Amino acid sequence: MSDTHINIQDFNTYYSGHQALKNISVDIPKNQITAIIGPSGCGKSTLLKCMNRLIDLTDGATCSGKILIDGEDIFDKKTDITDIRKKMGLLAQKPTPLPMSIYENVAYGPRIHGTRKKSKLDAVVEKYLTMVGLWEEVKDRLDSPASKLSIGQQQRLCLARGLAVEPEIILCDEPTSALDPLSSQHIEEQLLRLKKDYTIVIVTHNIHQAMRLADYVVHLYLGELVEHGLASEVFENPKEERTRAYIDGTFFTDLAIDKEINLKGNVCPYNFVYAKQALHTLEKDDVLRIIVDYPTAVTEVPRGMETDGHNVIRVKQINESDWEIIIQKK
Amino acid sequence: MNSRKLKDKISSRLMLSATVFACLLFFVMLLGLFGKASPILSVVPIDDLLFSKDWSPMAGKFGFYPFIVGTFWVTGLAVIIAVPISLLSSIYLSEYAGNRLRETVKPLIDLLAGIPSVVYGLWGVLVVVPFIKNTLAPILGAETIGGYSVLAGGIVLSIMVFPVIISITTEVLKTVSTDLREVSLSVGATQWQTIKYVVLRKSSPGIFAAIVLGFSRAFGETMAVLMVVGNVAKIPSSVFDPAYPMPALIANTYGEMMSLPFYDSVIMLAALFLLLVVLIFNVLARMVLVKMERSVV
Repeated sequence: MSDTHINIQDFNTYYSGHQALKNISVDIPKNQITAIIGPSGCGKSTLLKCMNRLIDLTDGATCSGKILIDGEDIFDKKTDITDIRKKMGLLAQKPTPLPMSIYENVAYGPRIHGTRKKSKLDAVVEKYLTMVGLWEEVKDRLDSPASKLSIGQQQRLCLARGLAVEPEIILCDEPTSALDPLSSQHIEEQLLRLKKDYTIVIVTHNIHQAMRLADYVVHLYLGELVEHGLASEVFENPKEERTRAYIDGTFFTDLAIDKEINLKGNVCPYNFVYAKQALHTLEKDDVLRIIVDYPTAVTEVPRGMETDGHNVIRVKQINESDWEIIIQKK
Repeated sequence: MNSRKLKDKISSRLMLSATVFACLLFFVMLLGLFGKASPILSVVPIDDLLFSKDWSPMAGKFGFYPFIVGTFWVTGLAVIIAVPISLLSSIYLSEYAGNRLRETVKPLIDLLAGIPSVVYGLWGVLVVVPFIKNTLAPILGAETIGGYSVLAGGIVLSIMVFPVIISITTEVLKTVSTDLREVSLSVGATQWQTIKYVVLRKSSPGIFAAIVLGFSRAFGETMAVLMVVGNVAKIPSSVFDPAYPMPALIANTYGEMMSLPFYDSVIMLAALFLLLVVLIFNVLARMVLVKMERSVV
């Protein structure tokens, strides 16, 4: 295995009391693609946000433990966070061009870091737009607003903007979830091409994408690190039952739901009790779908059901207030 | 028809008529003012009224120019004082301050907006006017008539404009999505760079609208200004000179010199002018704000 680039040690994150990440320790290898997988709400994005300390923007979030990048503790008070962030390009879930022209978007980072010369900026813009395969499409309209581009083009522009500050790491937070299949494929191809020069960390809930891209896999579930290892090993022969369930579960394109109960408006432990009763009425291997809107239930109901030996297939936020929990009776 | 349906129908009609009444008032006022102002307009051309410097009602000379200039001086000065302070504090509140501080300060600022303007006027007379007369003017070697001046009006008015600009600007800054801030920070920009190049840029139309709304409040403000500005119908030559803004003219003289021919018509014209200017400011600013809100959704 190659060198470690990001070294996470006993890392915890709390959102005003609620623990979002629990004792995460994992090494992320250099110049490879590491996929962080797991159901929604498992802490994938939180972990990513901690790596470039965008977590600082969240009111009430606190962290403990260490994240070392090239051996430097990014949560250390002496660390200059802008230097750390400069080392890491971010590709967000939703393409987010800055409110300026295409050219200015790419030149933004280098400008911030003191490049003033027009000829130098021109070269940077051309280089990185070419690298993401956008140059030919936009070279005649560099001064038009970035918001005029298609969504897929915007995402490639965002990638170019991140690359323009010459980072070592690229952090991607479900970078293709807002894109059409063709644009997604474009981005995936770029990432595969970029990995020889960059360490790439990609958060994805798309297991197929993780399989296509990843060299290394980190599986989080409800804030805990379930399993991590080489992609080939984790996908073909997961050591943990929960990983297997997750990989298998997400392969069910449409799950046959045998029973569905709506527990909205119920608080713990009532939703827990109702879920248990519902499972009791089902046959082995039947699938139960529960809808909850009580935050604690999102973590506690699956945990309780697993303790009882059932198989939690999916925990997913389905709208602003509601979560679905899909459980298979064992 | 059963009684429940009838009640429903009656109450909805009642509410509709109340709404129509409230909206109609504006047009009634506009028409009323216009009707009352038309006698003078038929005798003296409008540009003579607006641009003549000669204000001698006894001689039948009604030049609004000193009042218009006075209004713009006081309002302009108020905005010049208020804008930097309000902008900086809105940026602090929305970008740097924690939730708790923001929630504490916001009601305080809103409270400032609720203080009756006569109280601001009194404060101006008791504090600002003597300060200008005894401290500021001597230091700068300027002449002033007892401290009652454009500057006093501007200072008092600027404080009245703060809450409007601060609360709207804070809202506007909040409409800028966190994603944009994250994107800028993630390429290694500092917080200030992010605010300067991204947040302010994105929200500039809204900030402009906030300033215009503040301006339109300042433009029509009467009582507080009237108490500290000196009320001399001359074009001021420095901020230490007294001025006579239009709202003060209306408040001071309406009902007193009604025996003079055309006088009430002239005052109505001044009121109409004020109403129209404030209306235009408001409509423009609201249009910008509504457009911004839509683009966020």
